[in-house]
Amino acid sequence: MTNKDEKVLIKGNYAIAQAAVNAGCQCYFGYPITPQTEIGEYLSGKMQELGRGYVCAESELGAINMVMGAVATGVKAMTSSSSCAISLMQEALSYAASDELPVVVVNVMRTGPGLGYIYPAQGDYNQAVYGGGNGDYNLIVLAPSTVQECVDLTYRAFYLAQKYRNPVMLLADGLLGQMMEPASFGEYPYPEIDVSSWALNGAKGREARKIYSVATDEKKQIQHICDLHRKFEIIAENETTYEEFGVDDAEIVLVAFGSMTRNIKAAMKVLRAKGIKAGCFRPVTLNPFPHKQIHNLAKRGKEFVVVEMNMGQMFKDVKYAVEGLSKVSLVNRACGEWLSVEEIVSSVENVLRGGKQLAASL
Amino acid sequence: METNFIFAGFGGQGILLAGTILANAFMIEGKNVTWYPCYGAEMRGGTVNCEIVVSDSEVSSVHKQDTDYAIVLNQQSFDRFITRVKSGGTIIANSTLVAEARPRNDIKYVFAPMTELANDLGTSKVTNVVSLGVLASACSIVSKEFLAKGIEKVLGAKKKDLIPLNIKALNAISEEVTV
Amino acid sequence: MQQVFSIPKSMKKDFRYTFCPGCDHGIAIRLVAEVIDELGIRENIISSTSVGCSVFLYDFLDIDCVEAPHGRALASATGVKRARPDKFVFTYSGDGDFASIGIAESMHSALRGENISAICINNTTYGMTGGQLGPTTMMGQITTTSPTGRNAEYFGYPIKIAEHIALCDGTAFSARVALDSVPHINEAKKAIKKAFQTQLDGKGFGFVEILSSCPTNWHMTPEEAHERVRNEMIPVFPLGVFKDIG
Repeated sequence: MTNKDEKVLIKGNYAIAQAAVNAGCQCYFGYPITPQTEIGEYLSGKMQELGRGYVCAESELGAINMVMGAVATGVKAMTSSSSCAISLMQEALSYAASDELPVVVVNVMRTGPGLGYIYPAQGDYNQAVYGGGNGDYNLIVLAPSTVQECVDLTYRAFYLAQKYRNPVMLLADGLLGQMMEPASFGEYPYPEIDVSSWALNGAKGREARKIYSVATDEKKQIQHICDLHRKFEIIAENETTYEEFGVDDAEIVLVAFGSMTRNIKAAMKVLRAKGIKAGCFRPVTLNPFPHKQIHNLAKRGKEFVVVEMNMGQMFKDVKYAVEGLSKVSLVNRACGEWLSVEEIVSSVENVLRGGKQLAASL
Repeated sequence: METNFIFAGFGGQGILLAGTILANAFMIEGKNVTWYPCYGAEMRGGTVNCEIVVSDSEVSSVHKQDTDYAIVLNQQSFDRFITRVKSGGTIIANSTLVAEARPRNDIKYVFAPMTELANDLGTSKVTNVVSLGVLASACSIVSKEFLAKGIEKVLGAKKKDLIPLNIKALNAISEEVTV
Repeated sequence: MQQVFSIPKSMKKDFRYTFCPGCDHGIAIRLVAEVIDELGIRENIISSTSVGCSVFLYDFLDIDCVEAPHGRALASATGVKRARPDKFVFTYSGDGDFASIGIAESMHSALRGENISAICINNTTYGMTGGQLGPTTMMGQITTTSPTGRNAEYFGYPIKIAEHIALCDGTAFSARVALDSVPHINEAKKAIKKAFQTQLDGKGFGFVEILSSCPTNWHMTPEEAHERVRNEMIPVFPLGVFKDIG
């Protein structure tokens, strides 16, 4: 690109890939799976051209472990995959969290459980936020809603991963991965993080370093888990991000994440035109989740309708945040055809009439 | 105000490219736009489609059940997508490959022999761009001026020599088409 | 007075010997340390080990290490090497790690010709978990999960790792050695050095399979265990260089 601020019409997948390049990602390792294969395809040529690392890994297991090896040396590296294959990476993500390795993983969600299908869905919320791996650990989870945010949050993923030495997942979906929208790349907007205190580069003039998660001493293990937990509290304090629209005078707040955000924003306008005081709330970080902000809205007497493409996964987090202070309803579909603005509007009207919650489940 | 378009045809007709040119044209014009393809196994059946949504404000749903304009380049796509045209919407069909029929009376029809017009220019490969010209003639928010810029943007430096042919294809139909 | 024997410089000064009495891991790690000293590469090493008794390598060697989950040492090492091609990268695994749970990662690293060195300890069992049937468990061998001995009907056959690795086009060097006698130990050191030199020369994947004893899980004395290596293992897992591109 000649002008970095110029808008280009680009697919979400390519936007993520190019943003990774701009962020200084030195290595990409991956295995193909629809609907994110373009990321690996794009980077295969690009990384070679730039003299950076690229491996068509033997499996997603191989890919994520290659990323762990690479980031242990202090460079930025990432892998990308989708749903059922992200499941294969869960063991390594648990290790990476324990090892405090700044791994970046992109999940362009398709449908599950099992192999599912390539329809877009949002069914990996629980896996991403609550962890599919063993033990007490947290990923930082960022959910873009537009192609521009695929760029912005990919930048942020690399930054936060190194800043906190914590694995980050960019949780996109098939719709976002496959669609094109104008986006501009600008420059990577974050400072480079000094990794010299921990990165492996050979034990020259200093003590040898080992990055590992095995602790044969119970007290050390407890301490380590508590340290990780404390670190995530700091992350929650500093890095929780969200968007809200029209919540001030709203009686009912629509809550969505990822590309469903677009639909609730449009639904809000329609509802307002019909005289219903609706607002929108959208967590940008799914972990840390903006519990406090939602709780404060609940305190002000607002009701919530959670709109998502799964059977009600973020719904539980919103309920948890609301702590019974107000009503929380769910409007959802399991996967596939994104809930349309019209469906959301009629479902919210239905909820307001005290109707069934799963208004658009089929 | 949102308007949406579906391009459909068989693989090799340049469906995704036509949609990409249109989306670029809207982007250059400064509008909000999204492009969304059918993908994966859906493509294996031999038909391809993509949806473009253009909006004055942020685009809401990028994938919708109904559409304002369906641009169909083969019979199969005509049969499939005619049901998805909104009441009052328009179907624009390639009459070289689609039989002229008007099974619904609540929508508008445009038939143009797009493949034939492309062949007159020397290659059926520009049928997709001919369809864009027809669309511009039938839809006031689509401008040939910006489509031409879209063509230049998409073909870029690598396929620069193909730009004149595609501009000719865009103008293969010059007059307002009757709807 | 001339000092004829000392602890290699690449070994930690304060290590605590944690292997079982008579275990060959101690010899193998010492050989690795000697080779590192002789090649003068300690300060340029990033090593990767995964899970099993082999993981204790980083308690003994004074080098940078990153752990990998069980079976993934070769993937991790690939990542390290691709990120830092200027670093010397080696893995140290058991047979279960390298040739069972990690066989895909191991084989594909060889096929890709990753410019790394891999050492695999073959003691015909899963040592750390207490002696279960593994990928190299020999026909007839009794383990805690093959109580009447390995038979083909139930358990299939053991893998000859060094020969398989030698078949990969990306492999530059593949050898099998043993630690049951002084001459064999000397041969083993030569092979490790050759595999490491292969990486330094940028020739591709270097591999050494080391036949080792596990007296604890074999329920033998160290002497009996070395006799088993000599009399039972070597006839089935022949020593030698299976590939050397020079």
